Amino acid sequence: MNRRAGGRGTAAAYQINRRRLTAAPSGTLPGMAEPRASRTHRPRLGSGQVALEPAEAILEPSEQVRSSYRFSDPALSELPLDRLLNELLNRVQETLEVDTVAILLHDEEAQQLVARAARGIEEEVERGVRIPIGGGFAGRIAAERVAIFIADVDHADVLNPILREKGIHSLLGVPLIVEGHLVGVMHVGSLRPRTFGPNDLAVLQLAAARVAPAIERATLAARLEHEHTVSVALQRSLLPKRLGNFVGVAVATRYLPAREEVGGDWYDVFELPRGRVGLVIGDVVGHGVAAASLMGRLRTALHSYAIESHGPGRTLELVDRFVHSLDEPAMATAAYAVFDPFTSTVQYATAGHLPPVVISTSGSRVIEATPAPPLGAFPYGRCSEHEFSLESEEILFLYTDGLVERRGVPLSDGIDVLARAVEEADSPEEACLAAVTRLVPVEGLRDDVAIVALQNIPVPAELHLRLPAEPRTLAQVRRILRRWVVERGGGEADVAEVTIAVSEACANAIEHAYSPAPASFELHAWGDNGDITVAVRDEGQWRPPRGENRGRGLTIIASAMDDVQVGRLDSGTEVVMRRRLSHR
Amino acid sequence: MSIADVQITHASGALVARLTGEVDMSNAEDLGATVMSATPNEVRGVVLDLSAVEYLDSAGIYVIHGMRASLQARGQNLVLVIPPRSPVHDALRLSGADRPGEVVEELDAALRALNAPPAAGS
Repeated sequence: MNRRAGGRGTAAAYQINRRRLTAAPSGTLPGMAEPRASRTHRPRLGSGQVALEPAEAILEPSEQVRSSYRFSDPALSELPLDRLLNELLNRVQETLEVDTVAILLHDEEAQQLVARAARGIEEEVERGVRIPIGGGFAGRIAAERVAIFIADVDHADVLNPILREKGIHSLLGVPLIVEGHLVGVMHVGSLRPRTFGPNDLAVLQLAAARVAPAIERATLAARLEHEHTVSVALQRSLLPKRLGNFVGVAVATRYLPAREEVGGDWYDVFELPRGRVGLVIGDVVGHGVAAASLMGRLRTALHSYAIESHGPGRTLELVDRFVHSLDEPAMATAAYAVFDPFTSTVQYATAGHLPPVVISTSGSRVIEATPAPPLGAFPYGRCSEHEFSLESEEILFLYTDGLVERRGVPLSDGIDVLARAVEEADSPEEACLAAVTRLVPVEGLRDDVAIVALQNIPVPAELHLRLPAEPRTLAQVRRILRRWVVERGGGEADVAEVTIAVSEACANAIEHAYSPAPASFELHAWGDNGDITVAVRDEGQWRPPRGENRGRGLTIIASAMDDVQVGRLDSGTEVVMRRRLSHR
Repeated sequence: MSIADVQITHASGALVARLTGEVDMSNAEDLGATVMSATPNEVRGVVLDLSAVEYLDSAGIYVIHGMRASLQARGQNLVLVIPPRSPVHDALRLSGADRPGEVVEELDAALRALNAPPAAGS
């Protein structure tokens, strides 16, 4: 409502201007035609172009106030850039009664103007019109940093085809400048021949003065926002998407970006041969896209060396060599832990990283392991390995310094606070939650944070599993079963022979599952006093063993177990296997 | 994680394929096909080094039998490296089947076996 009222008022003011302007000869208005004498260089203009310089106080005081209000409305500063530009275009169009308005932004790298917002010539923006600085009407305004008036577009040097297609007759444009820095160009156009005079210029310059700093601010903010978004997206894409299903462990992770800038923190969790699990935490020195991208390379490098079965110490040494081989100097801290669920031990090495915390039912403790220098710090750095136990239910908690570093607080105090914050956690998820809730300040983080926590989960005394009938399930079954037999007191031979027998029975069940729909089978295992029973149940029809292969499978089951029963149920087939553990 | 890997090298006229990890119905056929397709006609035979295999079951044994048959058809031999007290040794024992090729305990013996002159009379 206010806007409409204001519109009427300015339209009236414009009528006055218009009357005064029509009396003046086209293109050569007194006081406007020549650049000010103080200018050090004169603009080079095409035919029919006039450089304009507004005289002081061109508008009547009342007009000045009204126009000034229209473009200095404090409400404008609350709008995001696109809406601000829209609103200003509307107000300029109404105030000057022009057919077209356009704002082009300065792309410094390309040395071009890019159409960003327009009225009446929306195609400019849609087609992404780009004008070289120095070329054509807008390009010259930008290059010379002067207002330019073209009385008759047909005869002038106009590069933009859209202006000609539209049949625009007269144009007036001004540079958008903030503190001597070119931000863009704004121009208005008329389909009828029109002489833009000093008042029009004054109005346009008021609008330009209003819009230029807003564009500058918004462009800067958008650039920072864009970089932040890109970094966060990059960071996210470089971290593991989903965590595998590990046997005998539960894992939880967190990545929290910093309030303003993304960093190079990372975590990783991966499976290693013989059912072991690798756990990594790291922190690249630096911020932004560069740090995030280096983080991605280090994460990959570490994982690659790890699956080559190097221990944690040697793995970190190799990553250190990798960092030294990079073109750019780089530095990072990292810790790598390998958890073996069969022995409940952790092999651990650290390159300058903060000490891990172990949470047990009786409290928490900080594991003091002498750290090697950070990755990339010294040539041929050596990294020693430490071993500690992680008993059933205990949680290993790895984190980056953003979680514990607070201005004016010694780092060791921060670590103690963390250890106390997580000491009552019963699961890795709870530990992450407690740490984040208790340590992350409400106003956000100054540095990013990565956390990875792993719990040693005992295998239950009885197994009741429903598993997908797919060949790759077999390796999982063997991992569960190996640990289960160990925890039932089985020896090496028991583990090997029960594992192969049950894996063969499961392979049978998977072969039975013909259907194209996802099928599953069940595995149950129980036992006491050294006598164990494993039942594998599928929903397929029993078929006699096909060829040598499955026949050999049944032979293996029979030789590995003390007793085997194959039962045909209404719903499928059940193989029940029993063995007395020999503890060998 | 891939549960197995195969490294292929050439040594004194033989192709040596060293398997590591676990071999079951999920990967046995692929591993066998990898070794067979890497075997040129010129070599005297294939040494399948199973000493670092952590698990092998009937699916793996079946594929090894198939490899032996294919190689024999091309006039090539298959020698298996299987140390005693290894997971593969145990699997073969449990399966009770005849050995799917000549078995030796270590790589050098395998290469010697392949390069030995044919026994007199054969």
